[in-house]
Amino acid sequence: MHISDGIIDANISIVANVVSVGLIYVSGKNTSVQEIPKMGMMGAALFIASLIHFPMAGTSVHLGLFGIAGIILGKRAFPAVFTAVLFQSLIFQHGGLFSVGINSLNMGAGAFAAWMAWRMKILPDPVRAVLAGLLGVLIPVLLMSVEFQLSGYGRGILYLFSVYLVVAVIEGAISFSAVRFMQKVKPELLT
Amino acid sequence: MKHSFIDKYGNLESPLHRLDPRIKLAGAFSFIFIIVSEPRGVVCPFIFYSLIIAGLLLISRIPPRFVFSRCLIVSPFILISAIFFPLSAMLSGDFQGFSAYQEEYRSALTIVLKAFSSIILLTLLISTEKFHNLLMALRKLKMPRLLGIISALMYRYIFILTDEAMRTTMARDSRTPGRLNMSKFKVYGNQSAMIFLRSMDRSQIIYNSMLSRGFTGEFPVMQKFPLKGKDFIFPVIFIFILLAIRLTNSDIYCFIF
Repeated sequence: MHISDGIIDANISIVANVVSVGLIYVSGKNTSVQEIPKMGMMGAALFIASLIHFPMAGTSVHLGLFGIAGIILGKRAFPAVFTAVLFQSLIFQHGGLFSVGINSLNMGAGAFAAWMAWRMKILPDPVRAVLAGLLGVLIPVLLMSVEFQLSGYGRGILYLFSVYLVVAVIEGAISFSAVRFMQKVKPELLT
Repeated sequence: MKHSFIDKYGNLESPLHRLDPRIKLAGAFSFIFIIVSEPRGVVCPFIFYSLIIAGLLLISRIPPRFVFSRCLIVSPFILISAIFFPLSAMLSGDFQGFSAYQEEYRSALTIVLKAFSSIILLTLLISTEKFHNLLMALRKLKMPRLLGIISALMYRYIFILTDEAMRTTMARDSRTPGRLNMSKFKVYGNQSAMIFLRSMDRSQIIYNSMLSRGFTGEFPVMQKFPLKGKDFIFPVIFIFILLAIRLTNSDIYCFIF
């Protein structure tokens, strides 16, 4: 799911890097002392989750946990997602260094959509949790499809992304069980 | 517990290891930027880029097998993306025979060359420096302050999470020897959540103790990294050569080879 350098049009990557820096400032504005370790730990969890790969349809996919990041961190998710993507790029070369902006925007949008879904209080908690997990994967995949289209790839690449529908369902299930567990053990973590 | 999966070759001795981390970081970013900015379908300059990368790899003393294994891990996504480039062109519109898509083949080749060149450069960057020095370099290069704090904490929390994962796995194995009678999904799901919550508690305790010792968001480093004028000579020449390759008409390289 991480875009390596050279895959996407360079101009799109430049714009994404600039927008990401702006978003870090906007979403990190007035961060309280209590929020910082939470952001660091969520970033570490996103990083570790990406190391657990499982084979699917000839390629390998991994968990993202962007839905859970959105639920726990809310609007503060973006700086944590950006740092996790930067670490993944530097340490394991999952995604390029020049593409950190575009990868963070894709995954940060997933976390943001998950937060929005979690805020829909009219829905029951389990539905909101599953929806957050699903959107945490589907929104990044949707954005990636648009970016690939803008970079001149044909529609064929969209078939590849359909693999992530299965991942989205798994993430939805994980998000559901994680939220249920946290509501029992540590409800104050849920924003 | 000891973990060395991050900067395994950071302790080797080579001229690249001795370079200032800020220069390495800026150099790697500039090199990647120059490579990525090459137009699609332009292949010949990559002969020079590859020679330079091979030279850097040789100087760094990083085992080529390690670099190859890193490339191998990320190769499926890159290769699939590249294959889809001509494939999509073939599938959309009338198929005119395989030889009619030369431009698409060249574009796919540049995608592969750009992606693998950047991956090797990133592997070189992380393998020629200790990771905490790279983080320090990012902070010195004016990374947003919040990101500087999060990245420094995250680097420590990764090990806490790994430790907690090992401990809880050991505890689970000792309580449930042999096969699990319960649903695996439930057991592993609860274990993951438990790892996360325990790590969260520990991270809060660590952060509170940092605050009580006067932490203000700055990380004082004992190791000084003074930058002198002569430190810039090598990177400036290096970037100048790369820019010369990038800005020269690419047909000349095809003519040379």
